[in-house]
Amino acid sequence: MSLDTAFMGQVFKLTLQGVPVTLKIVLVALIISLPIGFLFALIRIYQVKVLSPLVRLYVSFVRGTPIIAQILIVYSAFPSFLAQFIGKTAFNIDPIIYAYIVFALNSVATLTEVFRSALQTVDKGQLEAGLLVGMTPAQTFLRVILPQALISALPNITNTTLYLIKNSSLAFIMSVKDITAVAKTQAAFSYNFLEAYLVVWVYYLVIAYVAEFLFSTLTHYFSRYLVAEPNKNWFQRLFSFRQPNTAVTNTQAKRAQFIAKEVNHVNN
Amino acid sequence: MLTISHLKKRFGQRTILEDIDLTVHQGDVITLIGPSGSGKTTFLRIITTLEQADGGHIQFAGIDKDFADLTKRDIQTIRRNVGFVFQNYNLFNNKTVLQNVTEGLIVAQKRSKAAAKAIAVSALAKVGLADFQDYYPSQLSGGQAQRVGIARAIALNPKVIFFDEPTSALDPELVTDVLQVMRQLAAEGMTMVVITHQMSFARDVSNQVIFMADGHVIEKGQPSQLFTTPKVSRTKQFLAEILATV
Repeated sequence: MSLDTAFMGQVFKLTLQGVPVTLKIVLVALIISLPIGFLFALIRIYQVKVLSPLVRLYVSFVRGTPIIAQILIVYSAFPSFLAQFIGKTAFNIDPIIYAYIVFALNSVATLTEVFRSALQTVDKGQLEAGLLVGMTPAQTFLRVILPQALISALPNITNTTLYLIKNSSLAFIMSVKDITAVAKTQAAFSYNFLEAYLVVWVYYLVIAYVAEFLFSTLTHYFSRYLVAEPNKNWFQRLFSFRQPNTAVTNTQAKRAQFIAKEVNHVNN
Repeated sequence: MLTISHLKKRFGQRTILEDIDLTVHQGDVITLIGPSGSGKTTFLRIITTLEQADGGHIQFAGIDKDFADLTKRDIQTIRRNVGFVFQNYNLFNNKTVLQNVTEGLIVAQKRSKAAAKAIAVSALAKVGLADFQDYYPSQLSGGQAQRVGIARAIALNPKVIFFDEPTSALDPELVTDVLQVMRQLAAEGMTMVVITHQMSFARDVSNQVIFMADGHVIEKGQPSQLFTTPKVSRTKQFLAEILATV
């Protein structure tokens, strides 16, 4: 078996035009879903009447169905639904709009859970300390709890983004011309499937790697107060993505406290 | 200055606190002692509005009301006039030592950054941590963290500081530093209410010791009296047990 490298080079160039499409899907979906996911998490945590069970239902619907089913449903239901209001123009909408909708709806569910668990990792004592230095609950939330929660959410937001990047390859089903779609078309023309798919593979690898590096830098910058690992320069970080895990740090601190307390009790 | 009367607290069917009274005068150092589960911590948490009471009356900072009638404004008034030192420090993890102390001064007391910093620096110097301003809580030992907790409380210049077992989470060798700071505060006339298992601190520093068990005040008195000639057998038993293990 030999690879047609000339063909690979050609596909590589052609597929480049799919990169902005893939990036657009990822970015738009993230920009829409981050604030909504955060809002939904607050609704769940503060048990807002009526809305909280609805959010829970939504999250379990999205998490309980494969993304391919969600894509097929949105892509077949939305245009006909819209057609009732705006007529046949509904069928002329750029399919990338549907990609935005599906991937945003999907990420909202994941991010709701990400933010919810992140807010819950912040110890209740932080709120109490804030109240007893005279701050209001809202001031304490904004100045103490939120910053800590966002930082402990970062590793999971990274994961969500990586999944989003990879899942966006399914956009070809909606005839969106992303990386996968372009490469598939080329492959179908020439029957050089393996070559085309290897190119796809490389593209996603590079994009995911860059995303991971950006998030790692962000996490590193914001979690400097955790001092979980020695400072690394950007070059060292390029080759090791170890994100400080706040959840583990908290548990370890609690365990240490517990042991210290026991020792103290025994000594007293 | 602070008077609590007939305080009651229940969790479900269980009575946690029954008919507790407390009077604190300016400059008092009152220690609360008693076995775990006797309701000491809950008592302090109710006075500082972290928990709700099921009955009782509070007289403090111009407020003279039943706990049930406290408005949001009253609660805020109480919170702004007390200091609280937590068992597990509860320093703001995302802020430096200096910011931990200035946070309340700037946000709640609306002081300028410069004024807040000056107050914070002198409070940190008082607890022996002047050189640790830029450290984060995760970089401190337990003893240092607790002293920052104390600095945070005194910087606010509260009418009274509550200490909830301030040394229980510390390694034995770190306890001394924290107790030293507390002794110094008491000597300077700070009004303090302290839950502690450190009997030597209770005996040497406080002017009143309250022994609590099972949600009741069993006995209260001056340390010289309570530690040497306790009147109630429950107190005798507790003191015998705790002094035997020292």
